[in-house]
Amino acid sequence: MDAVLKVLLFASLRERAGWAERSLPFTPGVSTAREVWNKLDLGPLEGISVAVNQELVGANQPLQAGDELAFLPPFTGG
Amino acid sequence: MPGCRVEVCSDPFDPWQRLALWSGDAAAAAIFIGRVRPTTMDGRPLDALELEHFPGLCERQLTAMAQSLQQEHRVGPILVLHRVGMLAPGEPIVLVAVQADRRGAAQRCSAALLEQLKHQSPFWKREWCAGQGTWLAANTPL
Repeated sequence: MDAVLKVLLFASLRERAGWAERSLPFTPGVSTAREVWNKLDLGPLEGISVAVNQELVGANQPLQAGDELAFLPPFTGG
Repeated sequence: MPGCRVEVCSDPFDPWQRLALWSGDAAAAAIFIGRVRPTTMDGRPLDALELEHFPGLCERQLTAMAQSLQQEHRVGPILVLHRVGMLAPGEPIVLVAVQADRRGAAQRCSAALLEQLKHQSPFWKREWCAGQGTWLAANTPL
């Protein structure tokens, strides 16, 4: 398994950050979505949903090398 | 469990054509077709409505919503089509259709599913007006 994390941003969050997808090295010490988010320097995590491998999870769920981690701004609905 | 067909469509769809292909012989069917309104949330003329989704996660969430309500209301087949991409005013954006043995179950399930779609489904909307896009923070009232 690759020792990386794939990080995805969507909608307003993607435009605020200026990127949609990044591969970050998986650091065993940086092991939750919240810790990855804090390293991205994109503001507070409040209101942002987290998906790991396309499943919505809590921000404190431990990550594994090779995970796809997505940060989702508040949904507008259909 | 009866069929539950959920599609997130990147291309325009004709709701009547899709219904003709889907419809069965249940005693009751409730159908809702939503189209893009011609004005922005603050009343200005709308050029286009853009919808973004997270492919995979979105389809699974919508299917889970529909299946849960299908069981709760004990209805038959459900069809949900939802557009993403850039939509012009007047274009169909959502189709919800529910078949059941009774009109009450069909109508209640259809209304409940539509409200869940409107308020809980994982889409992001951006209104385009006078060349500027604005991400929306909330949806329209019932």
